[in-house]
Amino acid sequence: MQHLIKHQPSFALLQVQLGPSETLMAEAGSMVARSHAIAMEVKLNAGRNAGFFGKLKAVFIALIRKLIGGETFLVNHFSGPSGGQVWVAPALSGDILHLPLAGQRMLLSAGSYLASAGEVDMKMRWGGLRALLAKEGAFFIEVSGSGSLFATSYGAIQQVNVNGTYIVDNGHLVGFDSSLDFNIRSAGGGLMGLFASGEGLVCEFKGQGRVFIQTRNASALVDWLSPMLPG
Amino acid sequence: MQINLLYQPSQALAQCWLQPGESVLAESGAMVGMTPNVQMQTQSGGMLKGLKRMFGGESFFRNTFLAEGGGGEVLFAPALCGDMAVLDCGARQWNIQNSAYVASTMGVDVHTKAGGMRGFFSGAGLFMLESAGQGQIVIGAYGALEAIQVNGDLVIDTGHIAAWESTLTYSVGKSGSGWIASWLSGEGLVCHFQGQGIVYLQSRNTAEYGGAIGPMLPPRKN
Repeated sequence: MQHLIKHQPSFALLQVQLGPSETLMAEAGSMVARSHAIAMEVKLNAGRNAGFFGKLKAVFIALIRKLIGGETFLVNHFSGPSGGQVWVAPALSGDILHLPLAGQRMLLSAGSYLASAGEVDMKMRWGGLRALLAKEGAFFIEVSGSGSLFATSYGAIQQVNVNGTYIVDNGHLVGFDSSLDFNIRSAGGGLMGLFASGEGLVCEFKGQGRVFIQTRNASALVDWLSPMLPG
Repeated sequence: MQINLLYQPSQALAQCWLQPGESVLAESGAMVGMTPNVQMQTQSGGMLKGLKRMFGGESFFRNTFLAEGGGGEVLFAPALCGDMAVLDCGARQWNIQNSAYVASTMGVDVHTKAGGMRGFFSGAGLFMLESAGQGQIVIGAYGALEAIQVNGDLVIDTGHIAAWESTLTYSVGKSGSGWIASWLSGEGLVCHFQGQGIVYLQSRNTAEYGGAIGPMLPPRKN
């Protein structure tokens, strides 16, 4: 599989050349174009080794998310006997980041998964009760295995090499290495800090590893846009 | 007319240089700036043509910009953040998604064409634009524009199509194997292009943008 990311960072487009019988998995709705020889199949993203209950849970989450909006956790599989090309792009204006996986694990915030190829496994991970209070971050996607992972952002992507402690606004989080410990808390501490600072919830990382942050925040866009809409 | 595209791909601006006495036609609201000797005239090109354009999702009126008493400059830009491209007409002719049209030289006839049910299902509205004659068309996109040479077959999400060469034949259909699979896949409708020719893709889709942001907005109060 070969890939090319064009038009970075504002309107990134991922172009993938698939070899015979190679498969690209991509977030539902993200396909821009494909060769006619490439077939698309929609699959539940329950993980390759998920048991019956794992699959049932995934169906449940997928249906809920399909109905309330957001990432569906259904993925489309693209492949063809003689290979071909697939183009994929996210919904918002932003970048695409290629993260090669070689056995390590990463966590992505729910909207940041775009596509993957190879022996890559994915699981939904609950962000904790406090994450429910925030508009984002109730779920993380845990990605492991070996292959290629493509993450996406709203805005450009900045890599932070954490050595010690680092704090990121929840809405600006794209993903991080699972070698880092993380804790979701209010920015200023306490309720006042949560609601008055305008910063909402933050993710505090401890240890060593990479954190990827996006330079824009979809919730901030919505907060800015909402008062200007006609009543 | 000489056209220079600036600030591609995110914030593209078309800088057009007009010869003395030369004019350019543009979508209503596309003008950003112009030299004082450029005269703007608003015309519908006839009631019927104007109405047809309105059905096509364009505006009723189009504006003509004429350089008088010397050369002139006009700047054009589309409404959304994105790329622009110049399409040469003559040897090639084009079909254009109606929201992508920005401006055209006078020698090109850009007319509304009923896409029939195909156009309706494409989500592009019942009408699209078709070019004839000689000259240039400026298009604007949501996202970056990517020119792809089709050799045989290509499948494109209908919301990502900006323009395509008239040599290509196309049909609109569902993306997956069945309607339920297509709904779950989130891909909706796709356009199957066949033949030889160029397709301009836009790297973002306004419907998907709306789908991502819309549910987070407060409900409309009527």
